[in-house]
Amino acid sequence: MKNFSRITPEGTKDILFEECKARRETERRLASVFLRRGYHEVLTPGIEFFDLFTLPGAALAQSDMYKMTDNNGRLMVLRPDSTLPIARMTASRLQNSAYPIRLFYNQSVYRNCPDLSGRNTELPQMGIELLGAKGLRADLEVISVAVQALASCSKQFRIEIGHAKLFSYFADKLPVSEEIKENIRGQIESKNYGALNEILSQLEPSTELEAIKKLPSLFGGAEALQAAEEYCSDEETRQMLMEMKKLYTALADFGLGERIIVDLGLVQSNDYYTGAVFSAYVEESGDAVLVGGRYDTLLEKFDHPMPAIGFCIDTAVLAKILPKNGDMAEEINDLIIVHSEKGFEIEGQKKVDFYNNQGVTCESSVCEKREETLLYAKSRGATKVVVVGNVTEEIDIGEAQA
Amino acid sequence: MKPLRITLTKGRLEKNTVKLLEKAGFDCTAVKEKGRKLILPLADGKMEIVLAKAADVITYVEHGVCDVGVVGKDTIMENGSRFFEILDLGFGRCCFAVAAPKNSNFYSGYSAKRIASKYPNVTKRFFESKSMDINVVKIEGSVELAPLLGLSDAIVDIVETGETLRENGLEVVEEIAQISARLIVNTASMKLRKDEIETLASQLKAVIEQED
Repeated sequence: MKNFSRITPEGTKDILFEECKARRETERRLASVFLRRGYHEVLTPGIEFFDLFTLPGAALAQSDMYKMTDNNGRLMVLRPDSTLPIARMTASRLQNSAYPIRLFYNQSVYRNCPDLSGRNTELPQMGIELLGAKGLRADLEVISVAVQALASCSKQFRIEIGHAKLFSYFADKLPVSEEIKENIRGQIESKNYGALNEILSQLEPSTELEAIKKLPSLFGGAEALQAAEEYCSDEETRQMLMEMKKLYTALADFGLGERIIVDLGLVQSNDYYTGAVFSAYVEESGDAVLVGGRYDTLLEKFDHPMPAIGFCIDTAVLAKILPKNGDMAEEINDLIIVHSEKGFEIEGQKKVDFYNNQGVTCESSVCEKREETLLYAKSRGATKVVVVGNVTEEIDIGEAQA
Repeated sequence: MKPLRITLTKGRLEKNTVKLLEKAGFDCTAVKEKGRKLILPLADGKMEIVLAKAADVITYVEHGVCDVGVVGKDTIMENGSRFFEILDLGFGRCCFAVAAPKNSNFYSGYSAKRIASKYPNVTKRFFESKSMDINVVKIEGSVELAPLLGLSDAIVDIVETGETLRENGLEVVEEIAQISARLIVNTASMKLRKDEIETLASQLKAVIEQED
């Protein structure tokens, strides 16, 4: 049998040194934004029941999840999403908490990808959930945290807003099967005007039909919202459009200006969104770096209805940008290496402790001979070697070379 | 600002796209006299043309290393999509079809059929939609050979004039989908460089509509 003991599974990787440092620095910055905004950190299990992710109206694609069974033969998955577990946790453990509940997380999710597509299957994510709050204030709060979080790591980004229910409202009025509806949704999602028109041309003309035809092109600035007015003639759609307008104006006033775009054709395949949805893009990534939205009916599925909104950020993408900006804290640390003579090993360790307590990076040499330690120190770029023996001796590395 | 990167499927689609770009007023000398270069400047360095194989066009656009691409609908259908498909460029027209030996009455009988194709995903999806159990055999070269040699009951392939099928005693049993060249756009690029991409698309659209 072929042995795979020397490689990591496809879509995963080892992260070393500089890359690891950039990742941790990104996490530190995002966490500090979330903490300062009053969000509290939580962790959820890495393995959950399959059932949690297949609830009607909030299901993830079965093929995307890594599955296994527990010792009772029940189907389990590697956490494929963090919002559903947090909704479960809130509905059970935080039942009696005062609203709103502000939570943040820093954990990976796992998604099975087609072979050789070059995508990651282990996706490190950080995000927030604001539970038990609705309305413009709550939407604005969460999006402004998103902006602050992105700005802490990237100089340039764009935020896009849309409405999850606009499409389904129109689509539900069309006299077509669920299958065709899903097909229409897919064409709007990929802005495939040609195929969309082809499907729609086979149906009876109606105002809903015209609106759906227009959706993918209702994309841009305030003018897109203006253009949408023509199609949103009844009470409900007008309400949705009004919400969008308020949010757009508020965000523009908030100083986002050009960086905010509206896409009324933003129809996410994520079923659980019910209101405002938003994504953020950076030049360095071909995919959205941040995805979020309002999910007011999700907690109902856990018998504890409450409105909620949140987002998640791809920390791997931000970690890739961070060093490019050149603003990662440069650590110029002196390195001291302690060499202990035979019989002075304990004293040597005490010396290392002494330097460490002063905040200096200090290694204890594992070499037996002093010459070996000196060679090692040179290769490590250490500033000096401290020899602990009958007498304590400090050797400057420059000196030793001479 | 980085140049807008446009990746073209090498060969016939590339030539047709260059013609289209020229009619839209772009100077394509660099692309026509490319030699062996694979990245070529366009429009005073505001744009860049990247030449690639069909499936790679999709890969480059999906990952965002190219902003825009020109690729056949056949490749899109086979390789899936996480990008915007914004314009039908009108050229490279043909269709996906199921073809079987003449008078073989393909749909009759109760035995599970074996289908040869260069496009296993399209094939599987099509027969799944008909709730038909089939076995797909992936063939890299001339698919028409498979039924002739007795490897498969039918093939799924691109049919343009039908000449190759006829000469080998095959006939179209059913059409699956119409195909032509498409303009595809990376999701993030569409948001970050909306104006440039929309201008380019509308320039090309104007030429296509004029020709119709």
